[in-house]
Amino acid sequence: MIDAKNIVKTFPLKRGKVKAVNNVSLRVRKGEIFGLLGVNGAGKSTLINILSGLTYPDSGVINLFGKDLYQHEEDCKKRFNVATPYYDLNRSITGRENLLVYAKLYGVKNPKEKIKALTDKFMLSSRLNIPTRHLSSGERTRLVMVKSLLNDPELLFLDECTVGLDPDMAEIARDHIIQFNKETKCTIIFTSHYMQEVERLCHRIAFMDQGKIVKIGTGKDLVQELNWQDVHLHFSKHIDRAKELLTAEHISFQQQQNYLVFQVQNRQNVLYPLLQKFVQKNIIFNDLQVNKPTLEDYFLRRSRKR
Amino acid sequence: MRWHRITAMLWNYYYNTINSADRLFDIFYWPLLDLFIWGFMTHFIQGISDVNILSMILGGIILWVFLWRSSQDVAVYVLENFWSRNVYHLFASPLTIKELAVSLFIMGAIRSVLSFFTVSLVSFALYQFNIFTFNFFHVGLFVSILLIFAWALGLLVTSFIFRYGTRVQVLGWSTIWIIQPFSCVFYPLSALPSWAAKIAIILPTTHVFEGLRASLSNQPLHYFSLFYSFVFSLLFFILCAWILSAAVHKAKRRGSLGKPE
Repeated sequence: MIDAKNIVKTFPLKRGKVKAVNNVSLRVRKGEIFGLLGVNGAGKSTLINILSGLTYPDSGVINLFGKDLYQHEEDCKKRFNVATPYYDLNRSITGRENLLVYAKLYGVKNPKEKIKALTDKFMLSSRLNIPTRHLSSGERTRLVMVKSLLNDPELLFLDECTVGLDPDMAEIARDHIIQFNKETKCTIIFTSHYMQEVERLCHRIAFMDQGKIVKIGTGKDLVQELNWQDVHLHFSKHIDRAKELLTAEHISFQQQQNYLVFQVQNRQNVLYPLLQKFVQKNIIFNDLQVNKPTLEDYFLRRSRKR
Repeated sequence: MRWHRITAMLWNYYYNTINSADRLFDIFYWPLLDLFIWGFMTHFIQGISDVNILSMILGGIILWVFLWRSSQDVAVYVLENFWSRNVYHLFASPLTIKELAVSLFIMGAIRSVLSFFTVSLVSFALYQFNIFTFNFFHVGLFVSILLIFAWALGLLVTSFIFRYGTRVQVLGWSTIWIIQPFSCVFYPLSALPSWAAKIAIILPTTHVFEGLRASLSNQPLHYFSLFYSFVFSLLFFILCAWILSAAVHKAKRRGSLGKPE
């Protein structure tokens, strides 16, 4: 579906240049929901702009649907669509008028029925006759999402498309994305800063840093790279003795009220012997929580490495 | 080029027009205001002059409307999409730059025709000046040259907008007025000082308005001048179309279509 090779994009700065996308190669399969993660400025949006034909790369080859994007730009653009909350549709005209214009642009058959079905799903039908500038930011985001589904795209670029949606609407949007992907086998390139959302939706995730893809895998693959677990121990007394013991064992920790929080790499060899020592020294703890790392931990660790 | 995408853009402009007082004012208000001010002033001068000055001024205003509206509308409707940041979605769609340009030409021409008929009817009602008594071939020729030149100017301004963004939006309204003093819309070429006449003679618009005055005075038309104007406008149009294509290409290279301003 997407086969991009050696994509490079450099932007000039006042002094020097910045490589926004640095020799990125990427293959995304048909029907896959593919996540792009990375801090602001990592190159995610630039990569999406390049893959959707809005920005030309300095070098590299992009094949969409088995065709060269720049030689078959019109053909490719008929088959994909984009949604992002950062770019509105025409603000001077109503939502319905905007959707009718885009339905015509994409050559949608029965545009009125299509618009009705989609706006019902996104609970936007009652707001369609209002000028777009008077819609709330969440409503404008939903309008853009409806636009992105008008042509039944085979490939969909969703760039932080749940930003600005209330939790209920974001959940509806996520459900719809999953359902649409299952029903149509549409390939989706998805970026978000909500890690749980990325974990839930994406079959594979690429982590971008300074224009490069530094890791590709499933959510589990990425998290497995973190070989530590967070331990939270709750003490109602003996917390000072517990701190002395941890210091003696060279384990760095943080105190959060009556909790001591620290990380261990191995339960068998580190955590269990440590807990035994607490028992032997009669240091009583009331509660123990061991948290496995999440995608958010992976994100934080990667971004702090910078 | 696909007709359904051109009509989609025409619907876009239509919706823009009916939802925006600014765009409606452009069609009726400003041309009529021009007609009233110039018309009444000329009506007064007519009383103390032997020359058929009223027809010359009103004919100039009515033809000027074509040039003004078509040129400005091409740029302003592109600006509307920049202001809404809708350009991102348009350029991610299968719409080609040729289809965008053709839709702008058609919209500019439709709005010019609306302004033309409004101004023509009002000038007949107020000043008994009937543009339709003119030789239709001559009017057709004048209008064709002005339209092609107006579209070319509109494309040139649009190129600057794609290249520099809304920082240069003032060009959308002002460019056409730069050429007005040199186009001899309301006065003959001989009225200009020599340095201005040198500029004026190059402009195709000058020859059109000179032709209009000749036609009003029942003098023969200088067909060679009009032929020059037509060819000049056509070549200028081709050049501006190329410049626009290069500007869009450059915008994609710079990534400016995918970056909020």
